Amino acid sequence: MRLSALLGSMRGLVRGNPLALAGALILVALCAGMAWPGLLTAHQPLTIDIVHKFAPPSSPHLLGTDAFGRDVFARLLFGARSTLLIGFGVVALAFVAGTAYGTVSGYVGGWLDNAMMRFVDAMLAFPSLVLAIALSAAFGPSLRNAMLAVAIVLAPQFARLARAQAMGISAQLYVTAAIAIGVPHRRILLQYVLRNGIGPLLVQATLAVGGAILQTASLGFLGLAAQPPWPEWGSDLASSLSTIDDAPWVPLAPGLAIFATVMACNLIGDALAKGFDPRQRQSS
Amino acid sequence: MSRLLVVRFLSMLPVLGLVLVIVFSMARLIPGDPAVTLLGPGATDVQIAALRTQLNLDGSLPAQFVSYLRQLAQGDLGVSLKSGRPVAQEILQRLPATLELSLLATFIALLVGIPLGVWAAVRQERAADHALRVLSLAGVSMPAFLIALILQLLFGIALGWLPVSGRLSPFDITDTVTGFAVLDGLLTGDYAAAWDALRHLLLPSLVLAAFLSAVLLRFVRNSMSEVLGQDYIRTARAKGMGEGRVLFVHGLRNALVPALTIVGLNFAQMLGGAILTETVFSWPGIGRYMFDAIRNRDYPVIQGTTLLFALIFMLTSLLVDVLHALADPRIRRGPGA
Repeated sequence: MRLSALLGSMRGLVRGNPLALAGALILVALCAGMAWPGLLTAHQPLTIDIVHKFAPPSSPHLLGTDAFGRDVFARLLFGARSTLLIGFGVVALAFVAGTAYGTVSGYVGGWLDNAMMRFVDAMLAFPSLVLAIALSAAFGPSLRNAMLAVAIVLAPQFARLARAQAMGISAQLYVTAAIAIGVPHRRILLQYVLRNGIGPLLVQATLAVGGAILQTASLGFLGLAAQPPWPEWGSDLASSLSTIDDAPWVPLAPGLAIFATVMACNLIGDALAKGFDPRQRQSS
Repeated sequence: MSRLLVVRFLSMLPVLGLVLVIVFSMARLIPGDPAVTLLGPGATDVQIAALRTQLNLDGSLPAQFVSYLRQLAQGDLGVSLKSGRPVAQEILQRLPATLELSLLATFIALLVGIPLGVWAAVRQERAADHALRVLSLAGVSMPAFLIALILQLLFGIALGWLPVSGRLSPFDITDTVTGFAVLDGLLTGDYAAAWDALRHLLLPSLVLAAFLSAVLLRFVRNSMSEVLGQDYIRTARAKGMGEGRVLFVHGLRNALVPALTIVGLNFAQMLGGAILTETVFSWPGIGRYMFDAIRNRDYPVIQGTTLLFALIFMLTSLLVDVLHALADPRIRRGPGA
């Protein structure tokens, strides 16, 4: 499927589906808040104001302040930057690596394909969060390493799907014909195999964004992603967990923000998957 | 059947080998010399050499791997850097707490997911179905620690009904029989302790169950709606069979096999989620153990628990395949039979 056609059908899907539209609106609002946080709050996420710590939500501090008197809303807005960058960055990384790996494996076939896929099976034999935790613990705690770990864990899914796509397409007559007239393999891979098989992979990528955000937030929660005092929703929630008795808004705000973002991604992914799977489309 | 088992088991071996390679490589991914990194700048050469030996970092990589395998074959997962005790022993001590938690969570998920899934399939494309779809999407979108937080606020702090951390109240230590606190209380006749243990168990297992319930709801709904479109369901209805019998005897029975596969495959994923849940609730299981190990950079423990999670994952998928074959003769006989 061509990219423009894909975008067009995406638009159609979102229009016919109010839930996906709601998801899209949440994401657009989030992107706007992320791009111009200064428009929405006068506060800085790192400014400490100990005198006003644990101020409840009120007009100067929309969502109150945390244990250091930092504005929770400002931290939420600046934290959105890392969260969205994480979500899209991680999936992009996993998509490129997994798709390349899987497409080559499926196109080449034979024992090499077999060996390459056993490695994918081995990666999939770990519960995803466990592997992500173990990897980021080994790389050392930082946001970049956490993203790398989640991307590595996510890539096998794309590799599997890309391989299935590549195998199906490689068996087509037009690929045989291309080989027969001497089109170079690199060109066949990119122009024939990848281009024709990319539709389902893009849907898979949309579906994966929510999960990637959730998983990186979990690593942040465990102290393996962004390091304090940098605002990141998962680690903000973890560091304020002990204050739920006195100031529940401090941990609840980033928690609900993670939920809303992941939910928005999943609503859109759900609508797309429904549109792409003819079996599901029929039933609706 | 036995042939299928053998084939399935043999095909697991290369994957198992690669899993061991991945776990083995983990301590070698640490930038620089792991022993130096772990001990910090003040370490002496003697200490570094001792830790290198302890972490199995001496000799060439293949030699290290062989000695790692030799250790594993003897059930030796190394020694915790923090406590100095064997990792295998510490894992065995904590395993019952995690199993207790995840078994109850699975039970709750079945109890919630299956009826709601059937309901959604029956009311397909009506209000209830749409509401349940949003609910199940919310279930997979909600971070475990947020559900935990909300439940703790609600039942622990606002209502004061349930304890929000630990496995037993401090004064309620029972004799250990099975390692499952609730069962131990019942077996030793200490019903107060069993009740106390159950109260501690409830909130964390609800949190753990949320994801699986949501996945199961979705899956039962889809496989049930597929089954309900089949000819034999129409025939059953045409014969004048009661709707309850159609749904549960003819419908659910056929929709349940794929649904149980999902439970099996997600069981280990759920155990992964236990790392978050156990951390929030201070539950003394494997997840909490792994979390503490990450904080202390206790690599033998991280490796040991990672391997354990992978083994449980592989075993549950093997089990699922076997049960699937038992339930479905088409798979049991294999292709071409």
